[in-house]
Amino acid sequence: MKDTPLSNCERQFLLKAVEEKKRVDGRQTYDYRNIKITFGTEYGCCIVDLGKTRILAQVSCELVPPKDSRPTEGILFFNLELSPMASPAFELGRQSELLVKLNRQLERCLRNSKCIDTESLCVISGEKVWQIRVDVHVLNHDGNLMDAASIAAIAALSHFRRPEVAIQGRDITVFTPEERDPIPLSIYHMPICVSFAFFQQGTYLLVDPCEREERVMDGLLVIAMNKHREICSIQSSGGIMLLKEQVLRCSKIASVKVSEITELINKALDNDKRARKEGGKFGFAESMPKERITALKKDEAPVEMTDVQDTANEIISRTEAQPDIVKVPSPVVPAPGTGQVGEGLLNTWGLEEEEDEEEEQHEKEEMSTGEVMVLSDSEEDDVVILNPDANKPKRLEGGSKKGVEAPKKQKTSH
Amino acid sequence: MEVELCPILRSFGSEQNVLSRPDGSASFVQGDTSVLAGVYGPAEVKVSKEIYDRATLEVVIQPKVGLPSVRERAREQCIRETCEAALLSTLHPRSSLTLILQVVHDDGSLLACYLNAACMALIDAGLPMSSLFCGITCAINTEGQIITDPSVQQEKESRALLTFAIDSVERKVMMSSTKGSFSVKELQQCIAVSQKASEEIFQFYRDSVKRRYSKIM
Amino acid sequence: MMQSCFKNKIGDVVLPGDIFSFELPVTEDGSVKAEKIICGPGLRRNGDEVLVCKSGILRHKQPNLYWIDSQQKRYVPAKGESVIGIVTAKSGDIFKVDVGGSEQASLSYLAFEGATKRNRPNVQVGDLVYAQFIIANKDMEPELVCIDSNGKANGMGVFGADGFLFKVSLGLVRRLLAPQSEIVKDLEKLFPSEIVVGMNGCVWVKAKTVQQTLIVANLIESCENMTAQQRQALFKRVADGNL
Repeated sequence: MKDTPLSNCERQFLLKAVEEKKRVDGRQTYDYRNIKITFGTEYGCCIVDLGKTRILAQVSCELVPPKDSRPTEGILFFNLELSPMASPAFELGRQSELLVKLNRQLERCLRNSKCIDTESLCVISGEKVWQIRVDVHVLNHDGNLMDAASIAAIAALSHFRRPEVAIQGRDITVFTPEERDPIPLSIYHMPICVSFAFFQQGTYLLVDPCEREERVMDGLLVIAMNKHREICSIQSSGGIMLLKEQVLRCSKIASVKVSEITELINKALDNDKRARKEGGKFGFAESMPKERITALKKDEAPVEMTDVQDTANEIISRTEAQPDIVKVPSPVVPAPGTGQVGEGLLNTWGLEEEEDEEEEQHEKEEMSTGEVMVLSDSEEDDVVILNPDANKPKRLEGGSKKGVEAPKKQKTSH
Repeated sequence: MEVELCPILRSFGSEQNVLSRPDGSASFVQGDTSVLAGVYGPAEVKVSKEIYDRATLEVVIQPKVGLPSVRERAREQCIRETCEAALLSTLHPRSSLTLILQVVHDDGSLLACYLNAACMALIDAGLPMSSLFCGITCAINTEGQIITDPSVQQEKESRALLTFAIDSVERKVMMSSTKGSFSVKELQQCIAVSQKASEEIFQFYRDSVKRRYSKIM
Repeated sequence: MMQSCFKNKIGDVVLPGDIFSFELPVTEDGSVKAEKIICGPGLRRNGDEVLVCKSGILRHKQPNLYWIDSQQKRYVPAKGESVIGIVTAKSGDIFKVDVGGSEQASLSYLAFEGATKRNRPNVQVGDLVYAQFIIANKDMEPELVCIDSNGKANGMGVFGADGFLFKVSLGLVRRLLAPQSEIVKDLEKLFPSEIVVGMNGCVWVKAKTVQQTLIVANLIESCENMTAQQRQALFKRVADGNL
């Protein structure tokens, strides 16, 4: 599918708005959109919402032989995917320029910055090391994928726990989470990307561009930095000439943004840890906004089963009454040397899924958490409850909650 | 012989219109199992995939880790055939419909959750359908007990696993996918259980849509 | 009977697969009394039954028109509807226009007021046009025109360079275009602004300043899921300058 075209009218208006220091969603020049970090029930699973941009990251691990050049180091592998869900312009399995660029940038931000202690991932030198795999899926593209992806990846890495191992001679025992608590990765620092969009040859700049702003920008500068103000990578694209002062100014802005975001990630991690400890039942299921008009939840419901036995018996007895059904159709020979049973209808029975044993022992946590952190929560949400549980069906134990929330009001500030 | 039944649906929930880019989207959660679905269409179709008298439906399952395998491909086909049976695709000839399903967490009954998320996303996209559908998974454990909407643990302990897609008009079975061995009687019982359980889900679909339109009634 | 069967469902939410079946009333002389109804979008006749194929609210217009009001995003062209399109290509005698449907619509350069073979309209790729469908069905390429049956522009044509374009759901567009739309009435009280609404979900806004244009655009977007009271409260806050 093609991407939706951008009209000249939108282009001109966006550029004019940039000149007047106005943004389509009412933000200021240096503002980020709301960031929401949610963790899943599994360790190492994280969803980041940056405004309407949504990214899912999942970390997994596997024991593999190390690379010959580095026999004592574990391996970090990053794989960012542009899901066709995220935009009509993303095609399945196509290596687009954007995809290559984002993957490269993510590697530079997280692998080359040496933020993870790879030596601690060595199990037996030269023989077995942990390979940590980070899968990042872009689920909705509303601009600034890089920043959202870097937040999701580092948050997922910080959340991840790998199984404990014991070595006896050459034997490696991998313990399940029930046997021994899994251990977190040792992370030295958290590099986070901050993107700056430049307009009119660098005269104007915007932090965290949305999709429409990205379409009209001249150039992009991405700075990866940690909270100690160490720059981990800088990338400028679009072929704009920037002055030294501009780059320095951007790095100053980046340091402020990075410390804010780092704090947010830590808070989200703490909340998740606390909820797991306290044994509260949480997860993505729990982080679903219940007050939203488009969302609905229903509690565990027993299914009424009074006549199931009878129905089943009845059907079977009916089937048994017609013995000719059991007859195997006689083979059809469409051409000499070939055989066929039945006509060439589409077979829906052969579609049994071959469920192979899960490679990893499935981690099943009793306690699972999902925490929601919101940065710059400036909107007010009016919650109006419409007929709460007025006509609750009898069969439900909990009943569904009915609440209605006023949509977010994003306004240009005066 | 009386077979014991353990028919409980885990708590389930859904959110529609969760993503801004797709024409329709929904998340569906059953217990801890969670799937996100997005639909594009009717949109431009590639000439190579064009069908002259109906819309081309593509279903894509995105696993969370690694690349899609044979298992995903097989499930894509199950879901595609179910959706094709429900959609009135002849109303939009020479166009493409794309349904993308992303696993967010797998804690059992995943195929059923795919189907439910897909149906909610199709409803959200406003595509013409002759009926709705839902997915129900039944597990038969070693004692012969039927468990609806099993978790991963229950799936592992089961002797047979059956997933059905049920239509909303006549509660007919639109698709079945089974694993393991079971008797004819057990099959019929599972179908009957699923048909009963589907009513809960169809009522839930209705409540969700009602709630969504509650402000402009 | 048909009418009455529908009537008690008007304003209710219906889902695909819902069926309205009727028993035709038999008059005293034994003949079946026929009754006509018109099925609008989202409803299909299936023998003696009417089948719902879209989710949404069942609406009714006197005397016998029924349709489903849904909040979908994707546009499907329909004859006679006015839309805002983006010109994506010029090829020979026609412009290709993207309206958000499954196929690009064609627009002849002669389909503008006063256009002749010599006097071509000034339309560039990327420009916006407000046009009407004269051909739109599932089997043919959709075709737009910027003139009415008398050859007059009647408000249609190419947009000027100013203003801002954004997309909303088709349901909201219909609410904006409804005669005596309350949203439009409420908006009019705020700032003087020009608003063009296309049935394809595109809304074009132009107010005095960039700031005001953005406010109007954001207000319209926020009307998607608000009751009238909530909307009025919000608009009042904007009018008082509290936002």
